[in-house]
Amino acid sequence: MSDIQDVTAEVPARRQLRTKPFSLADRLFYGITKSASSISVILVAAILLFLLSQSFATFQTQGFDFITGSQWNNAKGHEVFQIGPMLWGSVLISILGIIGGVPMAIAAAYFIEFMAPKPIAKVATVLVDLLAAMPSIVIGLWGLYVLTPVVAHWGSLLYGLHHVSMGPVNFDIPIFAMSDGSVPSTFSGSPFIAGWIVAVMIVPIITSVTREIFSQMDRDLINSALALGGSRSSVFMRVILPTASGGVTGGVLLGLGRALGETVAIFYVLNLVSDINWFNILQSKGGSVASLVLQKFGEGTPNEIKALMAAGLVLFVLTLLVNWLAAVIVNRAQPWRKI
Amino acid sequence: MSQLDLTALPRPTKQPWQVRNPRNTWLVAGASVVPMFLAVVITLLTNIDATLATLLVFLPLQLIASIGVGQFIFGKKGRGDAILVIFTVFFSTLVGVLLVSVMFSVVVDGLKAMSPQFFGQNNHYISSTTSLEYGGVGHAILGTVLIVGLTTLFTIPLGILIAIYLTETRGRMRPTVRTLVQAISGLPSVVSGLFIYAFLIAPSFSAHGLTQQAGWVGSIALFPLMLPTVARIAEEALRLVPQELRNGAYALGAPAFKAFWQVTLPAAKSGLITAALLGVARIIGETAPLILTTAPSNDTNLNPFVGQIATLPTYLYGYINQVQATSQQRAWGAALVILILVFVLFTLARVLGSAKSTKAKKRK
Repeated sequence: MSDIQDVTAEVPARRQLRTKPFSLADRLFYGITKSASSISVILVAAILLFLLSQSFATFQTQGFDFITGSQWNNAKGHEVFQIGPMLWGSVLISILGIIGGVPMAIAAAYFIEFMAPKPIAKVATVLVDLLAAMPSIVIGLWGLYVLTPVVAHWGSLLYGLHHVSMGPVNFDIPIFAMSDGSVPSTFSGSPFIAGWIVAVMIVPIITSVTREIFSQMDRDLINSALALGGSRSSVFMRVILPTASGGVTGGVLLGLGRALGETVAIFYVLNLVSDINWFNILQSKGGSVASLVLQKFGEGTPNEIKALMAAGLVLFVLTLLVNWLAAVIVNRAQPWRKI
Repeated sequence: MSQLDLTALPRPTKQPWQVRNPRNTWLVAGASVVPMFLAVVITLLTNIDATLATLLVFLPLQLIASIGVGQFIFGKKGRGDAILVIFTVFFSTLVGVLLVSVMFSVVVDGLKAMSPQFFGQNNHYISSTTSLEYGGVGHAILGTVLIVGLTTLFTIPLGILIAIYLTETRGRMRPTVRTLVQAISGLPSVVSGLFIYAFLIAPSFSAHGLTQQAGWVGSIALFPLMLPTVARIAEEALRLVPQELRNGAYALGAPAFKAFWQVTLPAAKSGLITAALLGVARIIGETAPLILTTAPSNDTNLNPFVGQIATLPTYLYGYINQVQATSQQRAWGAALVILILVFVLFTLARVLGSAKSTKAKKRK
């Protein structure tokens, strides 16, 4: 009996395993990184707060028409600030950019990842990355002097399709027509050109996301599909695209977020008119919220600047939603990023 | 009976699937070259537009010819492949043409404005018609270096700390922080400028606002744009450090702080430098925030805390749609300077970043 008593007496007290940092240096280490990370939370909150505090007056006086209306007047006593055409213009340009950019980006990613010989693929990757880092004002300069004449010419070719009647061939394509039916003197300044600029800006983003997804795909999956007798095209349509679709969608949404917020590049190639242009993509009038801010800010009246803050807030909320969605989709498609 | 010849056959130099029939190579090449030749001939003869010739003559003919060749060589399978290859190559070429066009036009037009004084002089005595022998972007380069340098000073430590929080700790806020950082990376640059304007310049707190437009306000306006880039790339760099290294340090009894400081940080050093360089490259050409928060200047200003200050993007912005040819030349010149800066930062990042990260590249 007494032996057992002795043994239990010698069992040391149960040691506590601590997962929380306890030394001062560790606590400092975690504390500093944690407070630095909370910057991100503070930043988003502060942006919302300050823009809201500045734009509150505008929302109060303009009401819901701020988003839907289409007038802009800064004369004292007659102040009307409405961004309907600009908001729709941003969306229209982004849609055009996506339509033009997505096939280009997916083709480029497929070319780099599956078709090109190694050295060419490497050079192409560097080029695409470099273009992704190209400042938008440089793209704007290039777009104004180099791209605009070319795309305006394409626009004039497309305008020929707005009403075709050659013998048995009779059709109208209303989106290529002008809203007032007039014959345009110029094809510059249209949403069509701005859409091309946006496409140039978002192609590198979508390409790099898509390429990353492609490169992380299971090669055995592709090889086994080929071994079962699949051809390149059937493997692409039935194996690669379905597997990568989530990531590609996320990449496209990332591009959409960038397109919606694009400022300087569009500012130079688009004719900003505060009159809604629904689908007449070749007409020399369009809108863009971000470019509106740049255009009106310089000599804005105090109330006008508050209205611009409100426009910025709307833009921010819009891009925040799009980017958040993109982040969720990309993260779901790239589970290896989560540890 | 003759002796059986036992000398070995030469070993094939290529794997079976690498052997190409030269006839097929000629056919595939011909399916593209002949339509191209036809398109060129038709363009020259009928004088139609080059775009139309490409879209209406070259592309359909190339498509039909390639489908035919694919059918001939591979049977039914070849048709789909021909379509896939033609479209991929067409769109990839379009991307390549656009990319090369941007760089080519900036370099060619920018070189016309290049001269030693373009780098060294400021804009003090320059009107829109002054010839290119006088004046330059010297003041704008200095302003950009000051403003971007100031941003770098506080953004890089913060960005790297966020990356450390995301990879080295088990904090509960990590998913939130990661999502928010990704969300901020999509922040429109003009909104960043508006935010800092509302925060510091507009009369939010007092009747006159906290400050006037100045270089340091621009630095802060660049912060939200640079932070997510640095944080994301630094996170990738820290994640490339094998977990075994950290575990080894912990097993030897190192506290988390020391394990990070003496093991993880040295291992990830090159990646973190890359993060810093690419972060700088991200903001060096940002225009919209600087237009809203700094006042442009024609003179050299070495104090980013007081007064007007010029930067390369705002300089370019001021000259971009002027009518005079010399002004447009100055714009192209400034664009080339920005491009050179981005290119140098990129090359540095690649050279410094490729030193360590190559071996840990493909991870699942």
